[in-house]
Amino acid sequence: MPVLHQWSAHAGRLNGLFVSVAAVALVTGSIFVLRPVAPVLSLGVLYVIAVVFVAVARGLAYAIPVSIASMLTFNYLFLPPVHSLVLHESSNWVALAVYLVTAVVVSELATRSRRLARKAVEAETLRQSDAAKTAVLQAVSHDLRSPLTAIRAASDSLDSRALSLTQSDREGLVETIQTEARRLERLVENLLDLSRIDAGPARRRPELWAVDTLLANAIEQIGPDADRVVVSLAAELPPTQVDAAHIERTLVNLLENALKYSSPADRVDVAVSADAESVLIRVRDRGPGVGVDDRERIFQPFERGAGDRHGSGLGLAIARGFAEANGGRVWLEPSAPGTGAVFVVALPKADREGALA
Amino acid sequence: MTGARILVVDDEPQILRAVGTSLRGAGYDVATATNATEAISTAAMRPPAAVILDLVLPDGSGVDVCRELRRWTDVPILVLSAVGDEREKVDALDAGADDYVTKPFGIDELLARLRALLRRAAPASEPVVELGELVVDLEKRLVTLRGDPVSLTPTEFELLSLFVQNEGKLLTHPAILRAVWGPSYRTESNYLHVYVSQLRRKIEADPTRPRYLLTESGAGYRLVRPR
Repeated sequence: MPVLHQWSAHAGRLNGLFVSVAAVALVTGSIFVLRPVAPVLSLGVLYVIAVVFVAVARGLAYAIPVSIASMLTFNYLFLPPVHSLVLHESSNWVALAVYLVTAVVVSELATRSRRLARKAVEAETLRQSDAAKTAVLQAVSHDLRSPLTAIRAASDSLDSRALSLTQSDREGLVETIQTEARRLERLVENLLDLSRIDAGPARRRPELWAVDTLLANAIEQIGPDADRVVVSLAAELPPTQVDAAHIERTLVNLLENALKYSSPADRVDVAVSADAESVLIRVRDRGPGVGVDDRERIFQPFERGAGDRHGSGLGLAIARGFAEANGGRVWLEPSAPGTGAVFVVALPKADREGALA
Repeated sequence: MTGARILVVDDEPQILRAVGTSLRGAGYDVATATNATEAISTAAMRPPAAVILDLVLPDGSGVDVCRELRRWTDVPILVLSAVGDEREKVDALDAGADDYVTKPFGIDELLARLRALLRRAAPASEPVVELGELVVDLEKRLVTLRGDPVSLTPTEFELLSLFVQNEGKLLTHPAILRAVWGPSYRTESNYLHVYVSQLRRKIEADPTRPRYLLTESGAGYRLVRPR
């Protein structure tokens, strides 16, 4: 956007000019005020403050004109003969030299420290993204290894002639292989979801959906535990404009999370309501809840809740990623310790034209 | 050693089931535990002949379990480690574990390591040990390779006989140093590396691709029967 760029450069210059004039004017005003208490000649040193300030804030290009303007103003207003620009005393030249040297030194130092700070920020960003990648790889390799270990041990045993296995031993080993293969499948699906979210909203296909339909589809996907989910819907619910596959995944992950962190006897309550902008879906479990410190951490990929070693740690990150890709949000509502966790999904209401289309 | 009781400790139910079934199929009696506390109490109530121990447990580290067990038993401990847990693996060996296998492991390998550990209690009573083409007469202090005599220095022979008596077992650097050079040489691993390389030059066809005397990186050495 070249026009905008030019405009903002222009605005920057105007801003710099204003800062420079203001600095000189402010010091001049102060000298007027201080004139009764100190000799005028020594008050000239106050212009150094203006020079230093402009040099730090704006650099040499502004600091040098400010130095010259300071010297001229000081000369014109305060040095005899007053109201003339005649330089007939060496103190004028000394003042100008002091201002100029200050301008050069300070702006050079400021530029250098700004450059160093920028480099440090860049290095830190790079280091953090490397650390994140390493953490992801370590977590993935750990999550792959456990199912692989079980599958390899079970298939080796089935294959071995040295072992004497009963029919039920064999059935158990086959079951192990199937269970762990499904776990691997799920992990791969989750990783693909995550990479899709990272790739951006390009593949989104938003359509008009009633939230109760999305919720019904999600509940259908969670299998036998669905019986524990109890839904209550507000009387009037506006539609949302979202990619159904994305939001169903958000809901499935939140429901599975709630089921996993509560005892098999407990129900999971889902309440759907609406406010001015959004449709809100609240998922409440009766599990141990989430500590204050962990409220954001649990949404990071590969972070697990306390005591969970079997999830991939991806579910909540994916839930939030898909909701945000559709203009929505997911967060954890503060709740008293021991009362379970409440996750909230907010989906934007479809706009009126969308609703009529 | 069939019928021996093996305690398997892992918090992954499917790993526990697969390993447990294999061990029972191989004739062992299997006890299981899913965390550190249960592992220690099970081992205390009915002492097993060997322990197979995962390094990462929900209520603590396998290293702590090793240390705790070593306070009152010298039961052989085989640690299940994982790529990336090298530090933990070495800590476990230092804490008294006898050997390790890396996840995911083959069942044959696990069973072979376990057999080697269980043999330890009853060291080779035969004075002549044959390992493929390598024959070691512990009594007469004679070594032959493909029938040809191999000339070893006294220290090289001490080292080889230590390995032969612990065939298949991982020997850590400190353990070897203590056994061959004495307790004051515990940390002088350089000695050991030099003697191992000399020994390899005499018993291996290609010392850079050893078939008998294998390096377990960061942990120690292991003498095996070549395949």
